[in-house]
Amino acid sequence: MISAFLARGLQAVLVALIVSVFSFIMMKALPGDAAYRIAAGRYGYDMMDAASAEVVRKELGLDQPLLLQLADWISALAKFDLGKSLVYGTPVMDEIAVQLGYSLLLAAGAVLASLLIALPVGIAAGLRPGGLVDKASFSLSVFLRAIPFFALGILLILVFAIQLDLLPVAGFHSLEHLVLPSLTLGLGLATVSNRVVRDAVADAMTAEWRLFSRTKGLSARLTMLRHVLRNAALPVVAYVGVQLAYLIEGVVIVEAVFAWPGIGHALVHAIFSRDIPMVQGTALTLGLLYVVLNLCIDLACRGIDPRTRLSAREKQGT
Amino acid sequence: MKAPGRVVISVQALCIHAGKDILLGPIEFHVREGGTLVIIGETGAGKSLAVQAILGTLHGSLLAEGQITVNGQRHDLLAPSTRANFWGKELATLPQEPWRALDPLMQSHRQVCETHRFVSCHSQHAAVVATNNAFGSLGLNGAEQHLPGTLSGGMAQRVAFAAATAGGAPILLADEPTKGLDTKRHATVVSLLSQVPDSGGALVVITHDISVARSLGGDVLILKDGCMIEQGPTHAVLDYPKTTYTKDLANAQPACWKPAKPCQSGDWVLKADSIRIKRGGRVLVDNFSLRLHAGERIAISGPSGGGKTTLLDTLAGLLRPANGEIQRAEHLSSTDIQKLYQDPPAAFPARVNLSCSLRDVARIHGVDSAQVACLLSRLGINSALLDRRPDEVSGGELQRISIARALTVRPRILLADEPTSRLDPITQRDTMKLLADIASDENIAILLVTHDIAMAKAWANRCIALSSPEEPLPPGGWGNRLDKAY
Amino acid sequence: MHSQPGRSIRDGRRITGLILLGMLALAALAGPDLVNHDPARQSLLEAMQGPSSEHLLGTDHLGRDMAARLLSGARLSLFLACLSTITAALPGILLGITASWLGGWMDRILCAFADAVLALPGLLLVLMLAAISPGSWWALYMGISLTLWVEYFRYTRQRVRIVLADPAVEASQLLGLGPGTIVLRHLLPEIGPGLLTIAAFGAATAVTAVAALGFVSVGIRPPTAEWGSMMTELLPYWRESPFLIIQPVACLFITVLALHLSVGGGVQP
Repeated sequence: MISAFLARGLQAVLVALIVSVFSFIMMKALPGDAAYRIAAGRYGYDMMDAASAEVVRKELGLDQPLLLQLADWISALAKFDLGKSLVYGTPVMDEIAVQLGYSLLLAAGAVLASLLIALPVGIAAGLRPGGLVDKASFSLSVFLRAIPFFALGILLILVFAIQLDLLPVAGFHSLEHLVLPSLTLGLGLATVSNRVVRDAVADAMTAEWRLFSRTKGLSARLTMLRHVLRNAALPVVAYVGVQLAYLIEGVVIVEAVFAWPGIGHALVHAIFSRDIPMVQGTALTLGLLYVVLNLCIDLACRGIDPRTRLSAREKQGT
Repeated sequence: MKAPGRVVISVQALCIHAGKDILLGPIEFHVREGGTLVIIGETGAGKSLAVQAILGTLHGSLLAEGQITVNGQRHDLLAPSTRANFWGKELATLPQEPWRALDPLMQSHRQVCETHRFVSCHSQHAAVVATNNAFGSLGLNGAEQHLPGTLSGGMAQRVAFAAATAGGAPILLADEPTKGLDTKRHATVVSLLSQVPDSGGALVVITHDISVARSLGGDVLILKDGCMIEQGPTHAVLDYPKTTYTKDLANAQPACWKPAKPCQSGDWVLKADSIRIKRGGRVLVDNFSLRLHAGERIAISGPSGGGKTTLLDTLAGLLRPANGEIQRAEHLSSTDIQKLYQDPPAAFPARVNLSCSLRDVARIHGVDSAQVACLLSRLGINSALLDRRPDEVSGGELQRISIARALTVRPRILLADEPTSRLDPITQRDTMKLLADIASDENIAILLVTHDIAMAKAWANRCIALSSPEEPLPPGGWGNRLDKAY
Repeated sequence: MHSQPGRSIRDGRRITGLILLGMLALAALAGPDLVNHDPARQSLLEAMQGPSSEHLLGTDHLGRDMAARLLSGARLSLFLACLSTITAALPGILLGITASWLGGWMDRILCAFADAVLALPGLLLVLMLAAISPGSWWALYMGISLTLWVEYFRYTRQRVRIVLADPAVEASQLLGLGPGTIVLRHLLPEIGPGLLTIAAFGAATAVTAVAALGFVSVGIRPPTAEWGSMMTELLPYWRESPFLIIQPVACLFITVLALHLSVGGGVQP
């Protein structure tokens, strides 16, 4: 239990360091004098001069040695000070607090959509391996897997919003707006996870322990409830963990496609407009979100699989 | 002798087809209350299909014909879902390798308890009490909360037995109950199974092991290539076999082999002086000494997990002993010690043709292909087999090919690690005889490691017994193993 | 257990994938010369035209020839995918073998580095690298290679450890076979097919990443013809001429599909 938290905690620190160092390099790699540019960002090109640039330079410590600046940069992050947006002038934290909610809503919608698709299809295919549903879902999965998230988003926009005129295309005003982006992400995730469900179900149904449970006298229903479900759930939940990387990547891309007001969209926008505190803040939030979701999956796997719990207990005993 | 009870299970003219091929049958047998039937046959003889046909769990592509009557009711005429209703209540099964038949994610106590609860329809409390009693009487105390993955093979067997019989079925079908267990555990399994006829039930056991059949008694049915060739009381059939096959089978038991004479010792080729072997902080072998002479056959026997394989690897120079010294005779080169493996397919590169593997070895040692071909024909291997991959030939053939491969480098010492434990009795006898002949013809020393004490005694010039790891831990580690000659 | 028909269907998929890949490679090699148009030449008079004998796939909003732009984009994507696959595979495989063969500190350091790369989702890392110098081909190439490298390393390390622990390798060593033979007979046949699968998937990931970054205006910048940025440019015109936006989407789809099919489908986890 503690080891799981420790490992993910270490990952979180690593994420913070990587993001922070990258943003620092990004800052340094900007063409021209950073102080001038920041001053221009603050006061506008007309209002700024060498003196205001000098003020900025002093304020941000841009005249110090490079390593010292990096240390300052990281220690600011360690104090949870993400700075102000160069574009909006508002604290990055405030921006992220608003955007995070939208991104979580989209991620939840996507996971829900992928489960709603993958579970029924995968179970139906796994119960009759080699049957019609199995073959059809396999072919469809191969085709859909080859369409990247943003291309899938474009196709769905073309079909649903334009040709059929059913659903709103972009932005977020009502829950209806959630349908297309979550469907895009969910469909993308389900292309592989439905096969994982199928394999898990097919394996569980042909396992020797299932047949033994039946021949010792348990009914098909009891066998399903007491043995098959838990055993089949384990690889599926573990695979959701693998998919988290795709989910985070997908959130970034799909938000951009649908102009969804979340963190991914903000990150892309910040990179485009060279708003480095925002880049750092959003990338960090997405990275930490990835770590937290991974931790949840770790804990879920431990909840399902008593083997990990027992072996941990034995280790503590010796 | 008790009065014969009524017939509880009867099979008549049972045939199993796969398309046009007949895989099994026709077979016929009856088992009475308190009776035992042992079905003996080699791997691939279709033995397991008989159990599946009686249960009604045959694969959909197979077709069963004939009459199966359980407790006076024709089961073969019933719908599959109706037949499932008899499972646990009238028919119980002990599957092959029970540790794979237990749910890996559920504690053993719950897996037994659920049968009491839902099949015998006890209350939760009564089910727990019944399970506790079963665990107590089977010597499973302390294993209640264990998951199947942490149980030993013998314990998993007993848990599966408790779970299978908890529904109160009077008939038990056991498929290869000793597969994967040490010979030492066989007696435990036999006494476990004997509880069924002793308490008035009927027992049907499928096995390839004649000694298990002898200890179970009752009746025996002998299968060859899916055909029933002999049937009758076990001791009568095995002691006075009518067919050559049964005769062969009975004589293939190590106990019937011609015992080996002590070897006229030549020069020693390998010497170990009071070595100690540790693995993972545990002392596996201590104070072990050995002198292996040219052309000598030595067997080291002991239960699994006792460090036999580690000892062999140490003698082969693959591992270093923690203490003591191992010496090879001075004229031995690095390839003069060769190993034979327990699982022949694992000893060959899996994705390469056998001929290619043999050619590689021959080329390095400058042996021409005619010599290799000569060796192969002497070992009775059809050269057409060499175009296949290791997993496409039978275990017996592959073990002979691996012997041929080892002989290609003209070794002075062969270390054989359970080389026949996955082979049928007749194949085992032939392979071991081949090894013995090679030892004397080529003057090669062979060190055999086996869990089968009977085979060790029958085959070797000298035996060394390693003590069991289940014995109480003496000071200084697992046992004091001496070079002890019988 | 692979039944005969199942295997032949899989072989069919592979052959389809390889044929598609071959055609894509030819198209990418020949490039815009194939249609005799300059992908960058604008002609506002000819904007938004449908397919004609002059412009096989029509023209975009600036009157540029679509076919020429798609071919130019194919050249860019496939070249980058090939290059980053090689850049990732060679060190990945070599370091994987080194780590499993030597073990110890070498192994630990390499694994720690791999874990660090995996701490962030791959695309996020590429995005951060690309953000350092936006529009730079090199940043994109480095970022993609860095994220792909880990897969080869981890797979090779894990498989080689298993293979080396195999009794078959021990037997070969006892029989006096040298390391060359062991690599040839034991290692390569065991890890070769898996590495090919990783390579095909990695190349598909690279093509997708280039397009994704182009699409969110962080990757290769216009006016260079690149499938992702073409989608961004053409998306505003979806109502007037949906067939324009469909074209780069279809190209991307066919490329990824061909790569997935060439190793048997790509939905086996």
